[in-house]
Amino acid sequence: MSDTAAPQLGSWLRQRWSRTVSSGTGLNVIGLIGAIILLYVVLGSTATGFTSAANQMGLLRDAAMIGVAATGMTLVIVAGEIDVSIGPAVAFSTVIFAKAMTQLHLPTVLAILVTLACGAAWGGLVGVLRAKVGVPSFIGTLGLWNILGGLALFTTDALPVPVPIDDPLIDLMSSQIAGMPTPAWVMLIAFVLFGFIAIRTKYGRSVYAVGGNSRAARLASINVDRVRVLIFVTTGILSALSGVLLTARLGSGNGGAAGGLEFSVIAAVVVGGTAMTGGRGSLLGTFLGVIFITLLGNGLVLLGVNSFLQQVVSGAIIVIAVLLNVLLSRRRGISTTD
Amino acid sequence: MEPAAQAATIARAHQVSKRYPGVQALKDVDFEVDAGEVRALLGANGAGKSTLIRMLSGVEVPDEGWVELGGTRLTGSGVKEAGRLGVSTVYQELSVIPEMTVAENLYLGHWLRGRAGIDTRAQEALARRVLEEIGVTLDPGREVAGLTLAEQQIVEIARALHSDPKLLILDEPTSALASHEVDLVLEVVRRVAARGVGVIYVSHRMDEIRQIADTVTVMRDGRHVATTDVAGASTQTIVELMLGGKEQERVAYTRREYGEVRLSVRELALPPKLERVSFEVRAGEIVGLAGLLGAGRTELLQAIAGFRTAAGGRVEINGTPLRRANPLTAKRLGVGLTPEDRKREGVINELSIAENMVMSDYPRVSSYATLSPRRITEAATQLRDRLAIKIADVNHSIATLSGGNQQKAVIGRWLHAGSNVLLLDEPTRGVDVGSKAQIYDIMRALADDGAAVVFVSSELEELPLVCDRVLVLRSGRLAEEFVAPDITTTALLAAAMTTSTEEN
Repeated sequence: MSDTAAPQLGSWLRQRWSRTVSSGTGLNVIGLIGAIILLYVVLGSTATGFTSAANQMGLLRDAAMIGVAATGMTLVIVAGEIDVSIGPAVAFSTVIFAKAMTQLHLPTVLAILVTLACGAAWGGLVGVLRAKVGVPSFIGTLGLWNILGGLALFTTDALPVPVPIDDPLIDLMSSQIAGMPTPAWVMLIAFVLFGFIAIRTKYGRSVYAVGGNSRAARLASINVDRVRVLIFVTTGILSALSGVLLTARLGSGNGGAAGGLEFSVIAAVVVGGTAMTGGRGSLLGTFLGVIFITLLGNGLVLLGVNSFLQQVVSGAIIVIAVLLNVLLSRRRGISTTD
Repeated sequence: MEPAAQAATIARAHQVSKRYPGVQALKDVDFEVDAGEVRALLGANGAGKSTLIRMLSGVEVPDEGWVELGGTRLTGSGVKEAGRLGVSTVYQELSVIPEMTVAENLYLGHWLRGRAGIDTRAQEALARRVLEEIGVTLDPGREVAGLTLAEQQIVEIARALHSDPKLLILDEPTSALASHEVDLVLEVVRRVAARGVGVIYVSHRMDEIRQIADTVTVMRDGRHVATTDVAGASTQTIVELMLGGKEQERVAYTRREYGEVRLSVRELALPPKLERVSFEVRAGEIVGLAGLLGAGRTELLQAIAGFRTAAGGRVEINGTPLRRANPLTAKRLGVGLTPEDRKREGVINELSIAENMVMSDYPRVSSYATLSPRRITEAATQLRDRLAIKIADVNHSIATLSGGNQQKAVIGRWLHAGSNVLLLDEPTRGVDVGSKAQIYDIMRALADDGAAVVFVSSELEELPLVCDRVLVLRSGRLAEEFVAPDITTTALLAAAMTTSTEEN
């Protein structure tokens, strides 16, 4: 049996490989893995403290901050939409969670559920506006960005709302499980879950169909409106979840937290090869995009680059990464026509 | 020829020929239009009307022969040259900008500039005068989006008059309009001609042609067949000229036994296009829907499939009434619609062939709410074999397929969903001859398996080949019905084009 299994495995791998290489996302994945290895080698040999356990743990926490929301954002962008409300949504969620615990004295689990429900509610609102009324998602979520950011500061007077750090669940969320930070586990689970949803469920494939050609999807009896509502409910819940994790990490709810997070999330998704025009993208790509962006930020800090200059460098590198991506898919476009 | 008529000729094509790869689009065509004349231009699909128009308006250059405008020969330097010599063309597709006002649309790109930027008031005053000259009272300050289709078409025509043309070409200007809206456009055309402009009017509606045209030129297979007086020619004569008396032989018609009624449409009304349409389709039957462009065929199919709300009447699918317009309910009852615009509404290029087919019913290829790639591939491979889609691996992108094979995949989508009322809107458009024949075979095979098939086609000559029955839509109702084997292209075309006054 082993004599036949080996060549079978070989041909299976070859087939997988050629399919991976021939698809645009495949090339992108290989490129990103290369870039991540390169960053590890360069930073490992030049930046002091990069390889230290503490820094690696910090990296994972930072990655989780971006990654949890990036899973849902991938589906949003694949569907041809955008959600720019992540940062303030996370900030307001830390406030809701902290207040639910300390002022409403809810049990921790219930406080978490309340926070997630709030996220689902405002996500659903934007989704309904998009699907039923036709308000562009950029406008809807921009409004949400303002509203949630304002509420987060207004309800706290911009002061932190401390949470009891001796609470076992909060302690669990801010510490490690099996040697890895809890938020990183949450991120990994989210990626596996959303990877599965994207490839193996009716809902996931409907998201790709709607992003590829919404008219054709509608005529093929796909419920386009429901897809458009659900993707924003999803990012709402994931923002709330990120908020809960951040509260545990900071030990308080904080109305000004996670500033600019939405752009890191969108950048990670786009660097990961998801097309802003919709219809194309993968969770694996987004995962690598999250790692890439996190490494880049971490490395620039460790290398002692001027903090203002850091923004310039990371901005330029993100644009270059996306440019390469576009060029790759264009080359592929030519190769399929001949 | 009389010298007076000679002097009034404003456009002339002399022995014009044009070849495209694989097809002789025009062959030795002579064509003349006089000032102030309205000339109807008729011909079946592919007869060469569009090619002739493209030559006259300078879009393309003849391989042989030449085009002369107002006595000057076109040198082939493009649309601008023809425009300078006085040709203006209004194409079938509306090209107004809905968000702008009537006046802004009239002067699109040549807005009237005053001291301080664009002078809106002067522009609107000028627009009002231009519109009044062609007998239209329309507020130039109104947004075009708020106008009726007929009014938008008039704005389009008025814009074409901006350059003060000697020859105005109108390519099916009324095809998107309901029949009662047409008069407004005809009145404008009449006024334009009265000003001495020669008009070439492409249309298939004989009642319009009789109202405004003096003479009609009929083309067929790239040749000029005849130019005659409209008044002296009956619709029947013109149809025979268009088709040249050629009838395709029907492939061995066999009378069939039909099953139960699968689709029943009663008194369906979709204003402004359709009023009180009723018909039935049984299991095993292929029913063709004929009618001119804009007769409401697509709208009718969309209403049956639940994408459009009817103003009245009812639709029953497999015995169950469709109470509210809802695509999901219609699908569950057995309806499958393949849209007429395959590229924009049919395929999703980003997905594989297999995914394009199974998307109509995911649960069928899932277990425990999880899609099974193995079952998707199996289902798609079966459909591929059944529909003879030429591809080795159904997991390839659908963009790699030819038009005909893409169309088969879109039909396959509804077979996957188990639909037995199949509404095929122009399934053979943009498809090569071989694939067309295969699609006919597929339709027949599906009907033999118990499906009811409704087949819409603008190419009337293909309806007699496959249909058991053909219904002709005209002026908002089902005007005539033909039953195999007594379906001929000539009869269908005559029925579609006929004027109400010719009926008896």
